[in-house]
Amino acid sequence: MEFRVDRQLAFLAVVNVAVLAAGGVLVGASFLDIYNLQSMAGQVPELGLLALGVMLAMISGNGGIDLSGIALANLSGVIAYLVLRDTVSPDDAPLMFSWSFAGIALLVGLVGGILNGFLIARAGLTPIIATLGTQLFFTGLAVAFTNGSALGLGFIEPLDAFGNTPVLGVPLCFALFLMIALILGIVLRYSPFGLRLLLLGNNAKAARYAGIAEKRILFLTYTACGVLASVAGIVIAARTSSVKWDYGNSYVLIAILIAVMAGVRPEGGYGRVICVVLSATSLQILSSLFNFMDISNFFRDLAWGVLLLVFLATSGFDAKAWFRALRG
Amino acid sequence: MFAIRKFAACAVALGALTATTAAIAEEKPSIVTVVKVTGENWFTRMNEGVDAYGKENPGVATSQVGPGKADAAQQGRLIEDLVAKKVAAIAVVPMDASALEGVLKRASQRGIKVITHEADNMKNTLVDIEAFDNKVFGARFNEKIAECMGKSGKWTSFVGSLGSLTHVQWADGGSENAKKYSEMELVSEKNESFNDANRAYEKAREILRKYPDIKGFQGGSAIDVIGIGRAVEEAGLQDKTCVFGIGLPKDTGSYLESGAVDGISFWDPKDAGYVMNKVADMVLKGEELKDGMDLSVPGYEKVTVKKGAGDGVIAVGQAWVDVDKSNYANYPF
Repeated sequence: MEFRVDRQLAFLAVVNVAVLAAGGVLVGASFLDIYNLQSMAGQVPELGLLALGVMLAMISGNGGIDLSGIALANLSGVIAYLVLRDTVSPDDAPLMFSWSFAGIALLVGLVGGILNGFLIARAGLTPIIATLGTQLFFTGLAVAFTNGSALGLGFIEPLDAFGNTPVLGVPLCFALFLMIALILGIVLRYSPFGLRLLLLGNNAKAARYAGIAEKRILFLTYTACGVLASVAGIVIAARTSSVKWDYGNSYVLIAILIAVMAGVRPEGGYGRVICVVLSATSLQILSSLFNFMDISNFFRDLAWGVLLLVFLATSGFDAKAWFRALRG
Repeated sequence: MFAIRKFAACAVALGALTATTAAIAEEKPSIVTVVKVTGENWFTRMNEGVDAYGKENPGVATSQVGPGKADAAQQGRLIEDLVAKKVAAIAVVPMDASALEGVLKRASQRGIKVITHEADNMKNTLVDIEAFDNKVFGARFNEKIAECMGKSGKWTSFVGSLGSLTHVQWADGGSENAKKYSEMELVSEKNESFNDANRAYEKAREILRKYPDIKGFQGGSAIDVIGIGRAVEEAGLQDKTCVFGIGLPKDTGSYLESGAVDGISFWDPKDAGYVMNKVADMVLKGEELKDGMDLSVPGYEKVTVKKGAGDGVIAVGQAWVDVDKSNYANYPF
């Protein structure tokens, strides 16, 4: 299978370039200088990782969605910090602290993902209800553990470097995001699991008759969502040097927006990783552009809404056929 | 082919989106005030102060921005972009101070001057501006309650939550002040309302049932007085109780009218916005903020300057505004 450039992908790539160019024209060179490019790249992973999770859930079909992503991300950060606070000193062993932080956070994400997977695949709950429930559950746990206040990690060099320092010009967290996206893309495209997931999302009944282990696939998918969320949690902790239960409470809907803009079919069966990546970057560039131009954030919400509608409209719109019809 | 067509469509759409608010190239240093959330009365009022400073001082460009949703993440992203844009100074009212330490540190590394408000534990700031000393503020509430209840009888205090540092400081400042009056008795102190007027109402009702002869209430979060006022009103005790606390004139108006709430205090966000920009301008010009300095804004005529949590300083004013039934309507927020 070779690399396909479909209309969605071409459109997204064009949007990215167009917004960047618009920024260069409207704001000037400072929008395209290396610092701003790095700054924008550094902001992408938090939302991008959550959007990848939403994409996986959506592909699985049957109204698949993961609303618990950001809640689980915050919970992983909170638990990882609480466990380590009394056992490993970040000042004496910063590297050990950082790696254990990541390890524990991933473990929490795995457990949270397994819980979602169990509720949806085994107990057969509707994904939107199940993940809404676990969202409240994860948030509640994080509040209970912290009494609702933020916990500052302080300056931990390796963690801070991961969140904020570019290596060879690329912020590390962005590089990690790209790597995860690449792996996910390969798995979806070439592995038997990916094929089965797409088939399941396309037509669950047919997939079942074809002998695809529906429950196992759903379970694995939602577990992967949980792990992706915890990676987002690590990125958040690294970038803000703190953990808090309500960080990013507006991310749930934006992550869905990114996935839908990327052409992931909400009814399941289709979605491309590279489109999600480009969708996330285009939204980031657009939002940074608005900030550079002092445009109200309400206007930005409006612009995102317009963009989403444009995407939805064009994805179901066959331009060639339309022009043919026009010519008569 | 379709890609080119779409490119054209997209460019047109973008042009339409952005043309309405095309950026004007400006050479003068810009001070950007970042608030917790746009569209709230409190910060709309603050914007007036920000604009006022810009108008009076043509040497700088002032503006106020804030996320559409009250989310520390959104605020952080906004500042991230301002740092990349390299504005001259950023004045922040942090949603969550600890989540902003990293990005503000990067800001100062890029030579951007950082001013904060309501964040006396912030490390990466040059000047943090506080409207008043929280202990003194709490003591003032208590003094009014004491006067109103004739310096004797039972009284209680409310806090948004025990985790809200300033609320606890106000309650403590109040109880310390009450020690001056031996006949005043503090009962079941620091009731948590969880910033919910209904919870405050339930709590106040419980207290009225338990201590029918209670005379004083000190509110902690801005909505505590609303809940307490409702409970007092229902019990018909408007004239027998003294309710004071922080509150906003618009929200508390009806209770001030009925006498269920006797007085509220707050600080004027307009002045706070003005002072933040003034201090930012001073820092940009290299002027030093000295103890006892007059910033020529009501309440900030003699600021106390002390060392902050990081390398910066904290400037504390006496910028409280007390209102009661007679003058609350002068403050439209």
